[in-house]
Amino acid sequence: MEQSLMEKLTILADSAKYDVACTSSGASHTAKAGSLGSCYAPGCCHAFTADGRCVSLLKVLMTNCCAFDCSYCVNRKSNDVPRATFSPRELAELTIEFYRRNYIEGLFLSSAVLVTPDYTTERMLKTLRLLRNEYHFGGYIHAKAIPGTSPELLEQLGFLADRLSVNVELPSENSLKLLAPDKGRHSIFRPMKQIAAEGAANREELTLYRKAPKFAPAGQSTQMIVGASPETDYHILKLTEGMYQKYSLKRVFYSAYIPVTEDTRLPALDTKPPLLREHRLYQADWLLRFYQFKADEILDEHNQNFNPYLDPKCNWAVQHYGLFPVDVNKAPFEMLLRVPGIGPKSARRIWHARKQASLGLDELKRMGVVLKRAQYFITCRGFAGAHPGRGSAGRERITNALIDPNVFSGGVEQLSMFSPPAVDKLVAQGVPPRTAQKLVREEAVQCLAKAL
Amino acid sequence: MSGESTVTPARKLHDADVVYLYDGSFEGFLCCVFESFAQHEIPFAVWTPERETATLYPFKDIATDHEKARRVFASFGRKLGAETEYLVTRDFLSGREDKELLLIRFLHLAFALGPGTVKRAGHPDVAPLYEMKKSLDWEVDKFQGFVRFEEHDGMLGAVIHPKNYILPLLRGHFCGRFPEENFMIYDAVHQAVLLYQDHKPQLLELAEPLVLPPPSAREQQFQTLWKQFYKTLEIKARHNERGRMTHCPKRFWADMTELREEL
Repeated sequence: MEQSLMEKLTILADSAKYDVACTSSGASHTAKAGSLGSCYAPGCCHAFTADGRCVSLLKVLMTNCCAFDCSYCVNRKSNDVPRATFSPRELAELTIEFYRRNYIEGLFLSSAVLVTPDYTTERMLKTLRLLRNEYHFGGYIHAKAIPGTSPELLEQLGFLADRLSVNVELPSENSLKLLAPDKGRHSIFRPMKQIAAEGAANREELTLYRKAPKFAPAGQSTQMIVGASPETDYHILKLTEGMYQKYSLKRVFYSAYIPVTEDTRLPALDTKPPLLREHRLYQADWLLRFYQFKADEILDEHNQNFNPYLDPKCNWAVQHYGLFPVDVNKAPFEMLLRVPGIGPKSARRIWHARKQASLGLDELKRMGVVLKRAQYFITCRGFAGAHPGRGSAGRERITNALIDPNVFSGGVEQLSMFSPPAVDKLVAQGVPPRTAQKLVREEAVQCLAKAL
Repeated sequence: MSGESTVTPARKLHDADVVYLYDGSFEGFLCCVFESFAQHEIPFAVWTPERETATLYPFKDIATDHEKARRVFASFGRKLGAETEYLVTRDFLSGREDKELLLIRFLHLAFALGPGTVKRAGHPDVAPLYEMKKSLDWEVDKFQGFVRFEEHDGMLGAVIHPKNYILPLLRGHFCGRFPEENFMIYDAVHQAVLLYQDHKPQLLELAEPLVLPPPSAREQQFQTLWKQFYKTLEIKARHNERGRMTHCPKRFWADMTELREEL
């Protein structure tokens, strides 16, 4: 029986939704006369789902009929789920109609492996050619490179899409072998390398011929699953840093593993997705990209995992308490960025404003500095740094100000999204959520204060 | 000599118990600035006829004079720099009730201290300008994504309810995106329309509210597909209502196809 468009859309959106990358950033151009669609460099969110994630692109699979059998994936061959396949024309039309109504910023096209990787990629190429050449679509297209695709087809994909991505999936070769036997390390890093090389060559060509066709102008990204395999946070962060440097990736996305299948090699079905860990990884990722941190400063051989109660930046500041307080009116920009409570935006404002007049606490507050946290780390005009008090009481006051509020922000009945494992454990033992949060918070404050 | 002196003392900038009344246009506002500098006074308030309320203070009607406005505006770029000019022009679109007063206060400071004033983001007379800009930028960014068009006989139409007057700031984005379409965005709060027809954009102010016709069968079909897509995307194990509300507050929902029914 012929499936309706509605059924196909439901099945193929449902199978694609675990892919977390949904940004539309990095490319910028307006529509030429006679065409439809533009790209906006910072990206644009068109809707937010009930789990608070941004919907930017029409994120679907070309097909969810898969020849591979990766154990963490819903679409694996051995799983009994409804299957569907878009025809290129169908998908192109749907993209255009959604785009015209401003529902989406473009298309995010991925696919399960139908027959062979090359066969699948041909089908994706056909869709993208329809969009670009027949509908003159200039909006954002993110295409996923299917592992095992031949270099020629990948190149063609790059000249049609704004961004390409190859998923690392699992952070080490051992885990890959164990959980995704059809995807080797080689089949992931070879295309990543190819995309990086062609992108660099294309940028050079564009400086010579302004009108040369563009190869994936928004670069490439990747994602990995966190919590399905035993790697530490340090391992993941080092891998991230390496990929940013080696393949000049634009973004690395992390996806907390959500159990979709019963398998002895994987966490049990009732395991909660490690959302706090994912959150910390994103925070550390920001430190790498916008705060001039190195992976080795955030974690090291002896501290391989994130502190659940402090964000990585506060954690660094606590461990390097001797470097503070810094004078806001004199400190170099890199140091301003490292003060808890000062972000890139307020650091830039301070940088400009202090050339005009020396800054006091009132000015800092109006510039958006979070003084609750910053007060113990700065001095400025008329302020010699806050005195927390002597001894353990003083240290507790500092850690109290720094502790991550998101972790303990749950209500009477509901826990925070990012509740740490210690709280979950108490709740499982029958302690009411609010009491559990309070207990763990007190203990964490004392523990951190001792280490200060 | 004990008689009155004939020399008037140098007038100092002072708070005046007077309310400026102007027509709400940018040119009109520039004339308020002119008056404020000419009289060395900061008025108690600056109102448009719609915002006029009973007050004990006397009104001063500020007539919109093209020549005065031009002089004031030219001085922004020349004496205060491009960044100040940009900030003041943009903040004038803010929906804050006291925006004119905040801008006038800032301009007095800026003309006294020079083009660097705009960098003093922590100064009490400068900080509000950045607050207004933040609110504007945020709303523009949101509406670039949240505007929902419906097709009526080949014409795309959308309704929005913004706090700030952002239609001029949306023009570039949407005209650069849909050059071959005919579309209109109706701002129901300010009763204004951004109309783009036959490759020409226009900003119109309406005398009365506009009502869009009900969607056609084909239009409904795409709306249903979109709603289904939106619902499918949620990952139940990560449900986070508060997260959604931070990124997409309820005031936007009534104009959004996929959320209208959840209100």
